[in-house]
Amino acid sequence: MSNISLRALLLLLLAGNAFADDVLHLYNWNNYISAETVARFEAQCACRVVQDYYSDNEEMLAKLAAGATGYDIIVPTGNAMESLIRQQALRPLDKSKLPNLKNINPAYLDTAFDPGNRFSVPYAYTLTLLGYNVEKMHELGLPTDTWAVIFEPEYLVKVKGRVTVLDSQRELMAAALKYLGYSANDTGEAHWKQARDLIIRAKPYWAAFNASSYIKELTVGNIWLVHGYSNDIFQANLDAQKAGRKFSIASSIPKQGAVLSLDSMVLHKTGPRPDLALRFIDYMLEGSNSAELTNLIGSGNPNLDALRHIKPEIAQNPAIFPDAQHLAHLEMLRDLNRHQRRVLSRMWTEIKLR
Amino acid sequence: MSSFARKLFSHARLAKWAVSGPPFVFLLLFFVLPGAIMVIASFRYPGEFGGLAPLTAADPGTLQGFTLETYRFFFSDFIYTEIFIKSFLVALATTLLCLIMAYPLALLIARSPKKSRDFMVLLVILPFASSFLIRVYAWMILLGPQAALSQIVNGLLGALGIAPVQLLFSPFAVLISMVYVHLPFMVLPLYTNLEKHDPSLLDAAQDCGANAWRRFWQVTFPLSLPGVFSGSTLVFIPVLGMFAIPDILGGTGDMLVGNLIKEQFLGTRDWPFGSTLSIMLTIAVLLFVWIAAKLGSTRGRYV
Repeated sequence: MSNISLRALLLLLLAGNAFADDVLHLYNWNNYISAETVARFEAQCACRVVQDYYSDNEEMLAKLAAGATGYDIIVPTGNAMESLIRQQALRPLDKSKLPNLKNINPAYLDTAFDPGNRFSVPYAYTLTLLGYNVEKMHELGLPTDTWAVIFEPEYLVKVKGRVTVLDSQRELMAAALKYLGYSANDTGEAHWKQARDLIIRAKPYWAAFNASSYIKELTVGNIWLVHGYSNDIFQANLDAQKAGRKFSIASSIPKQGAVLSLDSMVLHKTGPRPDLALRFIDYMLEGSNSAELTNLIGSGNPNLDALRHIKPEIAQNPAIFPDAQHLAHLEMLRDLNRHQRRVLSRMWTEIKLR
Repeated sequence: MSSFARKLFSHARLAKWAVSGPPFVFLLLFFVLPGAIMVIASFRYPGEFGGLAPLTAADPGTLQGFTLETYRFFFSDFIYTEIFIKSFLVALATTLLCLIMAYPLALLIARSPKKSRDFMVLLVILPFASSFLIRVYAWMILLGPQAALSQIVNGLLGALGIAPVQLLFSPFAVLISMVYVHLPFMVLPLYTNLEKHDPSLLDAAQDCGANAWRRFWQVTFPLSLPGVFSGSTLVFIPVLGMFAIPDILGGTGDMLVGNLIKEQFLGTRDWPFGSTLSIMLTIAVLLFVWIAAKLGSTRGRYV
C-alpha cells in the first residue's frame, strides 16, 4: 500500500472514531472515487462516509428493488436513473445548496433522463468503444476507427480468437446498430434482427463475451481487440506499462458513433441525511475533487473546472475527451420497456446458442 | 408410574422437536416459502422497472393480476427447450467424467490402511479451503494461450499438421472446470460407501472362484450403487444450475440455463419468466432424481 493511501486509511479510521454520529451512506460503483477525496471530505464535514459498491446498474437496481434502504447518495447511469425517477425513489435537489453546479458542462445537463436536472448532478462518464493492442493492429494493418473491425469477417479473420465483446445485450446491440447506421436506441424489430444476424455472423471469430477479465487479457497480450469501456481500457494500458510490456493499449471512438454512459449523483428517498448528501455533491463538483477520479481511472469528466487539474495526457486523449465531431455521434442508452426487454433477451439467447 | 411414563414421553417428544424443529423451520422459511413465492411470481406480469407488476391497479389499461403468459412464451419457442437439453448434456458429461475419475480414487482411499485414509480424504477436501471463484480464475491462467498446457497441446497438434486450438473460452474449459470443482462431491459419498464394505465378501467371492474383474462387477460395484447415485445427484444438480463457470471460462456459445435464469433477474429484469425457467428446471431435476431413484431401487433388487 502506498504511503498516501495508508495515511488516508489512518485518517479514515481516526475520523470514524471521532465523529461516529454523522454518517453519509454512499452507494457507488467499484473503484469510482479516490480514497483521498473521501478522506478530505470526512475531515471537512467532520463526518464518516460509509461506502457500499456495485459493479453494474442491474445489481444496484435489483438490490433496491429487494428493499435495500438508507443510502443517501447513489451514482446510477442514465437509464437506471430514469427508472429510479419514474419509480419516484429519488429526492428532488435543493440547488441553492449546490453553488458549484455551474462547473458542469451544459452539454451534460438537461438530458432526456432527467429534464432540468431536478434529481441528478453529472458525476463522470464512460464511453463504450474499441480498445486495442496498438502494435498488433498496426502489424496486421487493421483499421481502428470503425466498428467494421469487430463485425466484418474480412478483418476478423486476421484476429480470430483474439477479440472479445462486452457481455451486455444493450451495449453489443448498440454497437451493431450503430455500425448498421441506426440509432443505438432503435427498437424496431427488423433493425434488431439485422443487428442480431450481424452479431451471429461475426461470433465465430470472437473469443468470448466478456465484461470483466478482458482488461487482464489485453494487458497480458492474449486479446488484441475489444469492445469495452473507456475506463477499463485506460486501466489495461496502465497495467501493461507498469508490467513493462512491449506494447501499449489504446482506445478509439468508431466513426459510426458509440455509447456514452453518464453517471450522476442522486439522492435516494430513504437516505437519512440529505443535508450531508448535498454537501458531498457540492464538494464533488469542485474541479480539483472531480479531477482526482479522472486522474485515477481515466473516466470522462463533465466538469469544466476539473479540466485544469487533469493530467495533460488524459485531458488530451480524444477517446476520453472527444472533439465536437465525435461528441455529436455519441448516444446515451434509454431504458427498454418490459416487452422489448423480453424480446431482446430471447434474441440474446439465440445469439449465444447459435 | 403412568405419570412417569407421560413425562418420559413428553420429554422424548420435546427432544424430538428440539432436534428436528430448527431444520424444519429452516427448510420452511428458506425453501418452501421462497419456492411458493417463485411459483406465484411465475404467473404474474413483470414490473416496468423489474420486480412484479402490481396485482391490482387503478388503471384497467395496465397489466395486472395473474397470467399464463410466461409459460406460453417458454413453450412458444424451441430455443428454451434447446438450452435445457444442452445444460442436461453438460451436467451429464460432468457427472460421468467425475464418476470415472472419482471411483478409482475412492476405491484406493477405502482400501488404504486406516492411518493414511483420513489424510487422503483431507487432501480431497483441501481445495475447499480456497474460494470457489479463485479456483475458477486459476483455470483462466492455466488454460491461457501462453500457459504451458496450451503450448504443449498446440505443439503436438502443430506437429500433426492440425491448426492450433484455443483452450480458454471454450466448451472444453467449461467442462474441465466443472469436473474439477465438483469432483470432491463425487469422491466423498463413494468413499463413505466403499469404506463400509465387508472385505470378507470379496474373500468369499474369491473362494468361489471369481477373478478380480468379476469380484468388482458382481460384488463391489452393485454394493456401491447407493454411493454412485448420491454422488451423481450431488454433482449433477449443482452443475445444472451453475452460471459462474460458463460466464468466466466459456466462449461465445457456452450459455447454460443457469446463465439464462440469472440474466432474467438482472439484465432483463423479467422476474416472472426467470421464475418460470427456475420452476421448469426444478421439475426437470425432480424428474431426474426420481428416475435415478427408480433405477437405483430396481437395480438394488437384483443384488
